[in-house]
Amino acid sequence: MRSIVEFKGVTRAYGSRLALDDVHLALEPGELSFLVGPSGAGKTTLLKLINREIRPTSGEVWVDGIAAHSLKASHVADVRKRVGVVFQDYKLLPRLTAMENVALALQVSDLRVSDEEASDRALDALEAVGLGDRGKAFPHQLSGGQQQRVAVARAVVAQPPLLIADEPTGNLDIDTSWEMMDLFGDIAAFGTAVLIATHNVEIVRRLQRRVLTLVQGRLVRDQPAGRTGRLAWLASS
Amino acid sequence: MAGVVLRGRFPRRRMVQVVATNVFRYIFRGAARNWVRNMGSTAPALGSMTLLLFLSGVIGLSGLALYNLEQVEAGQASVLHVYVRDNAASADVDALWDRLAQDPRVASVAFTTRAEALKRAQRIPGLPQLADASESNPFPASLDVQVKKIDDVAAIDVLVRNDIAVDTSYPTSYDQGAYQRIQAVLFGVAVAGLAFLALLAFVAVTVTVNSIRAAIHSRRDEVAIMQLVGAPRWMVRGPFVVEGAITGGLAGVVGGAVTFMTGMAAGSSSFAQFAPGITVTVAALAAGIVFAAGLGLGSGSSLVSLRRHLES
Repeated sequence: MRSIVEFKGVTRAYGSRLALDDVHLALEPGELSFLVGPSGAGKTTLLKLINREIRPTSGEVWVDGIAAHSLKASHVADVRKRVGVVFQDYKLLPRLTAMENVALALQVSDLRVSDEEASDRALDALEAVGLGDRGKAFPHQLSGGQQQRVAVARAVVAQPPLLIADEPTGNLDIDTSWEMMDLFGDIAAFGTAVLIATHNVEIVRRLQRRVLTLVQGRLVRDQPAGRTGRLAWLASS
Repeated sequence: MAGVVLRGRFPRRRMVQVVATNVFRYIFRGAARNWVRNMGSTAPALGSMTLLLFLSGVIGLSGLALYNLEQVEAGQASVLHVYVRDNAASADVDALWDRLAQDPRVASVAFTTRAEALKRAQRIPGLPQLADASESNPFPASLDVQVKKIDDVAAIDVLVRNDIAVDTSYPTSYDQGAYQRIQAVLFGVAVAGLAFLALLAFVAVTVTVNSIRAAIHSRRDEVAIMQLVGAPRWMVRGPFVVEGAITGGLAGVVGGAVTFMTGMAAGSSSFAQFAPGITVTVAALAAGIVFAAGLGLGSGSSLVSLRRHLES
């Protein structure tokens, strides 16, 4: 089976500082993985490389068979269509309703989607995240947890093979955070590869999924799912 | 038993309709809505572009009028009027006429009587009063020599100046350097006009680039989200380019209309001799060019701004 994401000797430097240093990794379909490490370890840089927001200084980044490392700016959308993204601050458009936010993602990435189809699929996605009855609400009328659910619905509505989340529980209380993790688990169960960058040690320990540990730009540990290992970065943070 | 899922073909016409609807919504309707929302920050760009386009139109029309004027002057300068003595014998005049007609540098020779000269003078502004002031006809008869090349006029002047049939006090209409002086003045006017236009174009483009930058800045979150959810580059850029085109198009409509009206006024009978060749068609064409230039300038400035500010 082809990996959804593959890093081959990826290095990314900002000036003289190495944000990522010779990283090799592969993510498989249906796999939920955590990306952990102290602040400045390179987690966000790794996610940005996957979403082709930046290019590696050296090495190769493959996303669903596309060479993201050599992709021209005019073709970046080809990668973005294959990657759903969830942010800590949700990044919803305030002037659009929950349903319109989700439908927008669907239609701008594929102009062949009609209004009716977009509405139906947006409603399906909102129902899947438990917000089927809040489609007409604007972001400011929703709680933080609900906004994050809308963001997840937006990220998965086009059924991308990969979902990446940067600190998705950073602004949520612990109960809502667990609900979000259940949601990510369900998404992975349907075959989507899910990569979550997080500082939440409790969640990472209890879920016992694959854990990738970054420290000072180096992938120091790749712990398979089902094991309870020491979180190496805690010692250095 | 394994089943086969049959999917009906999505009608092509319906697909085209859906794509067109979505493109219209996200590119054109979105741009129009944002343009109205950002009208305050767009106003300076609209004003400076309207001024630029109007002045471009007027300067363009003036340039055409000057060019036509220069052609008229060139035509007049290559006609040498050889003034005939009042008491010249007709045989002498005929001999001079023949000599000139046989000269290879001369295209044609015509004779103008004193009466015809008076009639012609009465059509020139200011001269009728001069003609009326005198009891007798002050204008002499002349041989009007059309010289093939304007550079040969001086040589023909030398050839005829001392002929027996020619008036000794005022032999010909030759004015050394007159045509060159007109050319120099026209060239100076053209250079000054172009320099002024270039300066104004720079100001208009700078103001428009800044107004689009303000629009990008005010919608940076929306742009970032569009990019992150996989909107292709043209879809992110499109609304800004259309916004610029709306600004330029509106400026073009106003600038074109004023240019047309100015052209019509200049082409009217009272100014016709100062602006030769400015007809309704020419004025309408100039207005059309001004409108097209507005569209191009607006969308072009947007593209410059996008390249500078969105990509970074």
